[in-house]
Amino acid sequence: MSKSTRKLSLVKRQKLTGWIFLIPATILIVATSFYPMFRAFLLSFKTGIGANMKWVGFYNYARMIKDTVFIQSLKNTFFYLIIQVPIMLILALILASMLNDRNLKFKGIFRTAIFLPCATSLVSYAIIFRSLFAVDGFVNTVLIKLGILSTGYNFLGHPTSAKIIIIIALIWRWTGYNMVFYLAGLQNIEYSLYEAAKIDGASPFQSFWRITVPLLRPIILLTAIMSTNGTLQLFDESVNLTNGGPANATITMSHYIYNMSFKYVPNFGYAAAMSYIIFLCVAILAFIQMKVGDKRYEG
Amino acid sequence: MKKRIFAFFMVTTLILALTACGAKDNTTDNASKNTTSDTKNTSNDTKSSDQVDQTSGDNTLTVWCWDPAFNIYAMEQAAEIYKKDHPDFVLNVIETPWADVQTKLTTAAASGDLSTLPDILLMQDNAFQKNAISYPDAFVDISNSGIEFSKFSSAKVAYSVVDGKNYGVPFDNGTVIACYRTDILEEAGYTLDDFTDITWSQYIEMGKDILSKTGKPLLSCTAGESDVIMMMLQSAGASLFDAEGNPYMVDNPVLVQVMETYAELVSSGVMIEVNDWDQYVGSITNSTVAGTINGCWIMASIQTAEDQSGKWGITNTPALDGIAGATNYSNNGGSSWAITSNCKNVPLAVDFLANTFAGSVEFYETILPSSGALATYLPAADSDVYGQPQEFFGGEAVYSMITDFAGKTPSNNTGVYYYEARDAVATAIANVVAGADINAELQNAQDTVNFAMGR
Repeated sequence: MSKSTRKLSLVKRQKLTGWIFLIPATILIVATSFYPMFRAFLLSFKTGIGANMKWVGFYNYARMIKDTVFIQSLKNTFFYLIIQVPIMLILALILASMLNDRNLKFKGIFRTAIFLPCATSLVSYAIIFRSLFAVDGFVNTVLIKLGILSTGYNFLGHPTSAKIIIIIALIWRWTGYNMVFYLAGLQNIEYSLYEAAKIDGASPFQSFWRITVPLLRPIILLTAIMSTNGTLQLFDESVNLTNGGPANATITMSHYIYNMSFKYVPNFGYAAAMSYIIFLCVAILAFIQMKVGDKRYEG
Repeated sequence: MKKRIFAFFMVTTLILALTACGAKDNTTDNASKNTTSDTKNTSNDTKSSDQVDQTSGDNTLTVWCWDPAFNIYAMEQAAEIYKKDHPDFVLNVIETPWADVQTKLTTAAASGDLSTLPDILLMQDNAFQKNAISYPDAFVDISNSGIEFSKFSSAKVAYSVVDGKNYGVPFDNGTVIACYRTDILEEAGYTLDDFTDITWSQYIEMGKDILSKTGKPLLSCTAGESDVIMMMLQSAGASLFDAEGNPYMVDNPVLVQVMETYAELVSSGVMIEVNDWDQYVGSITNSTVAGTINGCWIMASIQTAEDQSGKWGITNTPALDGIAGATNYSNNGGSSWAITSNCKNVPLAVDFLANTFAGSVEFYETILPSSGALATYLPAADSDVYGQPQEFFGGEAVYSMITDFAGKTPSNNTGVYYYEARDAVATAIANVVAGADINAELQNAQDTVNFAMGR
């Protein structure tokens, strides 16, 4: 009998130790993250200028539907999401599997070079991209010298090209980041699988598609959720690269929320409501992605 | 044992590093606003210390403003002059970019905790109405404090008047000037007089001629900003809002005329649009354009191209065609000093401002030569320093000319929802330049502003 009571208290003590380690961090997260989120949720049910707020229920959410600028920013953000995220992830996958080749020399240099854009400041790189694509900027000068254009094309002055520049900037910056995740995941795939595939006569494309991708599924899911989250909250590029773009053609939801809080007459309740819509979008998309990702893995 | 010492050492270092970062971030307050977005605090970019400076001491004033070469320099000179009669006066200037002043003011006022605000802050005139109406408790009413507002240009004072009460002491001049490269004009056979007291249709005529003879447009502007439109509007005394505060865009004959003029300027090539501020200044200093029309603070940027000294001339801006009340004078920008409710010694702040910015011609004479800081204080225009010829601008006494322009500028009604209206008009004009119908775009703009106003 004494043996069983000793075992119980040991288990209990271990559990208690675990909780003691967890509690400080939990308290901090609840106090600094969850509590403000809760307060922001309450804020989204109020409206008013500056500090004069009053309760209005779902007024802010209903109002959003009629807000043409918000709808435009929603469309823009989803445009970036649908076009940029797949291209970036596929590119990162291809680069990772290329760099995972055993016989490749100077792997370290390539990996560093592709990862380096992620270490740059968001503001600096956006400003540099802006001056690169100016009417008399570097890109136009090169295109004119090559004879493709006769006068500089105003990339940032036309809605479609402005959106494409933002997508290019995002791909340049974040591909390396995702590539590092995939490289880490690729280390877990046994080389013997590829050897076996080669012996069976599989082409590189087939071994990529049939071996690499299915085995990397959890990592792909992780990067997809993270990229979705990041793209839906896009802010720096919209502000520094295009400043919302020609006639709101590139403005993102976060940029509009910032304007609503600090540039225009402040309406924090409405801004909070819009933030919750972003939160909802991210949550729904993450949920869908997890459902799709997990089912196939088990099946 | 060695491992333990090493571990202890690492832990202490990491804790120290953590607290060092922690101390810096404590002063920025971003709690309830956007919890789901990644807020990189913009105030981390300011080079000065982020220390929260409560007003301290009986004879100390804390001031927030930007631009060491201009506003901060002016404030420090004002302190020197004030110290002559009040030796124990101490001025504490904290360099804060305008965007940060706006953000900090919003954060402090919205949270109800005004203790982080300084005694005096510099505020853009365009934002004055918005801030004074959104946060009425944050500012001190100085209407009857003894500051002589009549000595300032009335259009300028009007920016900081809310409900008939004065909240700001006007400072720098945003009077619009038209600058031209006299050497390029001469090449095409024109003089500066040809561009004085003209209308926009004459400007476009001559501009097309100069473009064909020299290949240079007369003007550049930043696409997506409505500075040019606002300048043209104000030159006729018109605004985007009517007297009751309703948006007045559709069927606003002045605004329609302004948009048509703007569209013609772009389509004829007399005005080029660039993408950001740096390119705008670059187009001036690289001689890509033969002139510019902007607030007089643009002179500082023009003068950075030292090799163009003597080749520039200044005159007034073109007037709108066929509009009653159209003038050749306007305003773009400018700022005023506001005293916040957090000031513990309001009489000192009022006295300081009254004896320097609002009362000392000597002060304005001192700051003019080194910083080009122009006043809206009318008595200063008569002083000799203002009358000195400026070599860069062709040997003319441009400073007294500009102060004279300031006195003739019509006032306008900025309105609380100025920035919403500005952005809506910028969106409209971008679409008009791309070929959309003016009236349809104005309707969209007005709908957007009505929506923003909660109607």
